[in-house]
Amino acid sequence: MLLVPCPHCGPRNSADLHYVGESRPRPDPAVASPEEWRAYLYLQANPAGWLRETWYCRAGCRQYFVLERNTETNRFRQPPVP
Amino acid sequence: MERGQVPTFESPVVKQYPAGVGPLTLADLSHLAKLSVRADDDPGFGVGFGASRTDGGVLVCGQRPGEWVLLGSPAEVARVSDGIARSGHVSVIDLTHGRAVFRLTGTDASAVLEKVCSLDWSDPMTPDGAVASASVAKVVCDLVRHDVDGRHSYLISCDRSFGQYLFDAILDAGAELDIVVGAP
Amino acid sequence: MTRLAPQPGEVVDRTRPVAFTWNGRAMTGLAGDTIASALTANGVRVVSRSMKYHRPRGYLTNDYWDPNGLVQVGDDPNVRSAHRLLEAGMAVEAQNAWPSVDHDLKAANGLVGRFLSAGFYYKTFIRPQRLWPAYERVLSTYAPGGRIDLDTPHRYYDKRYAHPDVVVAGGGPAGMAAALAAAEAGAGVTLVEHDHRLGGHLRWGSDADRAAANELAAAVEQAGVEVLVDSTVTGRYQDNWVAIVQRSHPVAVERLIKARAKVLVVAPGLIERPYVFAGNDKPGVMLSGAVRRFLNLHSVRPGERAVVFTANGDGDAAAADLDRAGVEVAEVVDAGAGQELIRALGGAKSVDGAQLGDGRRISCDLLVVAVGWTAPTSLLNMAGDRPRYDPTAARFFPNAELDTVLATGGLVGDGSLDELVDHGRATGELAARRAASVAHRLQAHTARARPVEGDEPELAPDQRPPLGRDPHPELFRSSTHGMVDFSEDVTSKDLLAAAAEGYDSIELLKRYTTATMGPSQGKLETVNTVAVLAEARGETIEEVGTTVWRPPYAPITLGALAGRVFEPVRVSSIQPWHEANGVVPIVAGAWIRPEHYGDPAAEVRNCRTNVGITDVTPLGKLDLRGPDVPRLLEQLYVNRWSKLAVGAVRYGVMCAEDGVILDDGVTGRLGDEHYLMTTTSSGAATVWEWVENWLQTEHPEWRMHVTPVTTAFTSINVAGPRSRELVRRLVSDVDLDPDAFGYMQVRTGRVAGVGGSFMWRIGFTGELSYELHVPAGHGLHVWEALLAAGADLGVAPFGLEAQRIMRLEKGHFIVGQDTDGLTKAPAAGVAGLVRLDKPDFAGRPELAWALDDPTAPRLVAIQPIDPAEVPEEACQIVREGTNEIIGRITSSRLSPTLGRGVCLGQVEPPADEPGTELTVVMTDGRRVTARVRAHHAHVDPEGVRLRG
Repeated sequence: MLLVPCPHCGPRNSADLHYVGESRPRPDPAVASPEEWRAYLYLQANPAGWLRETWYCRAGCRQYFVLERNTETNRFRQPPVP
Repeated sequence: MERGQVPTFESPVVKQYPAGVGPLTLADLSHLAKLSVRADDDPGFGVGFGASRTDGGVLVCGQRPGEWVLLGSPAEVARVSDGIARSGHVSVIDLTHGRAVFRLTGTDASAVLEKVCSLDWSDPMTPDGAVASASVAKVVCDLVRHDVDGRHSYLISCDRSFGQYLFDAILDAGAELDIVVGAP
Repeated sequence: MTRLAPQPGEVVDRTRPVAFTWNGRAMTGLAGDTIASALTANGVRVVSRSMKYHRPRGYLTNDYWDPNGLVQVGDDPNVRSAHRLLEAGMAVEAQNAWPSVDHDLKAANGLVGRFLSAGFYYKTFIRPQRLWPAYERVLSTYAPGGRIDLDTPHRYYDKRYAHPDVVVAGGGPAGMAAALAAAEAGAGVTLVEHDHRLGGHLRWGSDADRAAANELAAAVEQAGVEVLVDSTVTGRYQDNWVAIVQRSHPVAVERLIKARAKVLVVAPGLIERPYVFAGNDKPGVMLSGAVRRFLNLHSVRPGERAVVFTANGDGDAAAADLDRAGVEVAEVVDAGAGQELIRALGGAKSVDGAQLGDGRRISCDLLVVAVGWTAPTSLLNMAGDRPRYDPTAARFFPNAELDTVLATGGLVGDGSLDELVDHGRATGELAARRAASVAHRLQAHTARARPVEGDEPELAPDQRPPLGRDPHPELFRSSTHGMVDFSEDVTSKDLLAAAAEGYDSIELLKRYTTATMGPSQGKLETVNTVAVLAEARGETIEEVGTTVWRPPYAPITLGALAGRVFEPVRVSSIQPWHEANGVVPIVAGAWIRPEHYGDPAAEVRNCRTNVGITDVTPLGKLDLRGPDVPRLLEQLYVNRWSKLAVGAVRYGVMCAEDGVILDDGVTGRLGDEHYLMTTTSSGAATVWEWVENWLQTEHPEWRMHVTPVTTAFTSINVAGPRSRELVRRLVSDVDLDPDAFGYMQVRTGRVAGVGGSFMWRIGFTGELSYELHVPAGHGLHVWEALLAAGADLGVAPFGLEAQRIMRLEKGHFIVGQDTDGLTKAPAAGVAGLVRLDKPDFAGRPELAWALDDPTAPRLVAIQPIDPAEVPEEACQIVREGTNEIIGRITSSRLSPTLGRGVCLGQVEPPADEPGTELTVVMTDGRRVTARVRAHHAHVDPEGVRLRG
């Protein structure tokens, strides 16, 4: 079982967390075209390599957070501070 | 019952168990007052996420980032709650009726938890006073290690509606270690 | 009797005979026997029939992996008889044989063996497809495996978690030395041994070997290592999540340990490899290890006259052991000197001779083979290693350097006992040092952990001197063909034929022929399979490559996987009353709720005429506090919220970002900055996380907190024309006059003496109703007070079914029943709530587009023309005279109030127009006509009752 480094609790079993999905900015709903909005809803980048993902620490600290995961190795790293 | 008369509090653990004495006990402490305090910054508790400390008769737990849980007698919890610094946005929510609380005590308490919870209960990872949340027998619980007289002891709290189930699940896990139901 | 005189290393206790039965025949073994050694001591040679051809089989490897040793013990199928210890009273039976293992009629398969070649099943039973059920019935009687007793109770199988510093898989000399060294270096160590005792191959070796094993085992215990025998590391998963099955446990039948090992040491030793030659599956053909275990551990004579074909020291040792035990060794055939073994002679039930390369035929009833080893690199495979073949040593070796998975022992090389122990010790020391680095990292990053000093230590470098590799001849197949996979009855001829058919990649060959896919799972036959394919392709083994070993390393019982079953259940504070008063419960998610108390229709009528009370505690409740709560409400609900006054309640619909209805419920404003949101019972957790998500990720600047308080309150709905009168009797501090406390209003006060309660007027049932939310520790008290106070008003409890009937009569939809994963807000008939003048809310873009979509199905109220017809839910609605589906019934009941069937359903426009006649296909195939209504409510569409 994957050990997910929750930035608050520390490493936790992935079963303790809820995988929310790829982390992407929400388009402005006032101006988004159907194509943009539906790309946001349904299209996944699914790269081989580093990917930004949102997790929810459901059984633990109940925090949502973003981590980067390498989909080839399952290694994690903290995302760069914006 | 006459109007205005306050009825007695009923625990979610409604089954009757023979009271026992032994080195490994599970006790129902659901009658304790429980207060959840939410704030961006520590409103004067002096304890952070993952740790706890005792303030008089109240156990103050850094339960989650920005959330503290107070456990104790109603009067004592009220005393501590009255002293909370209310600067900024602070929410104080009484969860006395919303949570079941049990105390699991004994040298083998960690061995019982290992059967129902995936956290590491070793001393370096979960020292006395440590606070965590995790799934226990498939129910999300708040846990505090709060040793009694040098013996391992854990406070386990869950949503009230799961209380009876969880109490029985812990007793079942501890059966091979001769667990008994202790006095509150 | 074939029991030998006492042997120096024997593990049987001659003072304790053990009675058991074999196919109903009484036999006696000794304490310490395996089933296999006891059977062999009783002269049994044929223990099973092979899977496909039902050929008689005897013990080949005499260990856990023996492909021929699966037996039924009582209700326990597929017991590995060369591993399971004999117990008094065991009823042991042969599997896969009819009528008996000695006279198996299905052995006729062997006569038509050429029809059962590779791919036979695929080719034969594919057509005609309609006959597959018949084929399946016949084939299943031929399939191997034991007998399952469906009445077997689920006994106490258990699971636990563990967080050891070091797990050592394998308790041979290297594994024991690794465990010992790691423990001495301060690590917490779990040593897992597949067999019943520590020692590995030393146990059936020389006196010196056994002495060394005992010494190491004692030191391991002394060092505080947790030793698990008769246990197997069955898998290594991500981040060293290690599964350990403990087959022997003082309390549990079996226990599955889920260990998060900081370092895993892999030391399984080597598994002896069979040789492919004609007749190699005849009873009496055994590998050298099998013979040595029979002789040296269990003091059992495996035969009277032996031929030994040996390519290594173990074969030589087997010959010496046989000689010492008094078994005549007719010939030692030295493979190293170029001598060859061509075929085993004799009938199907026993070998009676060996034909050698020089043409000689030597009579024997035991043919011992020692041709080399398979390296069980399974756990390394699971950690990402892809082992490489070394032709000089004639076996595979690990190939990758892994930080927290280390290998030692025979898996990585050869050497003297001292060299193996030295390598084990060096591995244990390295494991302990690396585990300390991992422990430091875990402790430093875990919030609750004790603070740790200093920086994380660098991962210790691997400076272990490597073990050597002894040269070994490459011996896989003789000049004849024989069995490659004994479990699956796959011969070298089958493999060559399959390769000729084009299945010449190892992964295809494996799946096509099922070689390596039986109970042995490649432990015995993988390398030979690869070797035969290499032969077919004219390539080397290295070029062909091998398959990847995946979990589990050894089979796991379903009981161990199930463990103790955790099924959390939730109940309200009133549950004891429900149970004492004839409730018929319904399980809804984790909740156990009252479905009804005997007569739901009567419960409905009582609500419509008097007053009823129902336990609605599972209704999700979220406490919202802070100045920015209105912003959240605007963001999550499709409707308008900003002007909700203190004391008011509003109904709202939430949609997900795709516009599909997520949940609905009412939210009340209890105070200036204090709200209570309710959700559906099943949506409570989802909505809570949805709220947290918006607060944490999109709007962390909003000042508000959300807290789930679902079961902090016991929720009781008091419904019916006399509900006000009832509530008035228990509430004194709230003005219940309809002008002061109107429909969709909320008040706080005392109910039956219980402070901190609040109540609101809503109308899910369509009746005048008060929903009381009282602190849960007093919920049962309030419930009983209501019943006592309202006896003269005709108060009676009602359950979920009555509630569902009444809401259907009123035309209120239920999210997830009347809506589905495609139902956007307009389709559910709440287009009017959607406020596109709000600049943003969840799902707004999709809803804006959906409002313009004239084709989406619409939720409408439907009544069959014939009032006696009550379609079942999910009945289809079709275009008249056709089978074209244009909708379905989503809710349907016989209305006790109207005395007729009432429904909600989704239909495609324009069939949603009021008055449209619809054709509903009933479950019995009849078609009934129903009419679309103008309003969702079948009862009181004007809402007079609930506003009363």
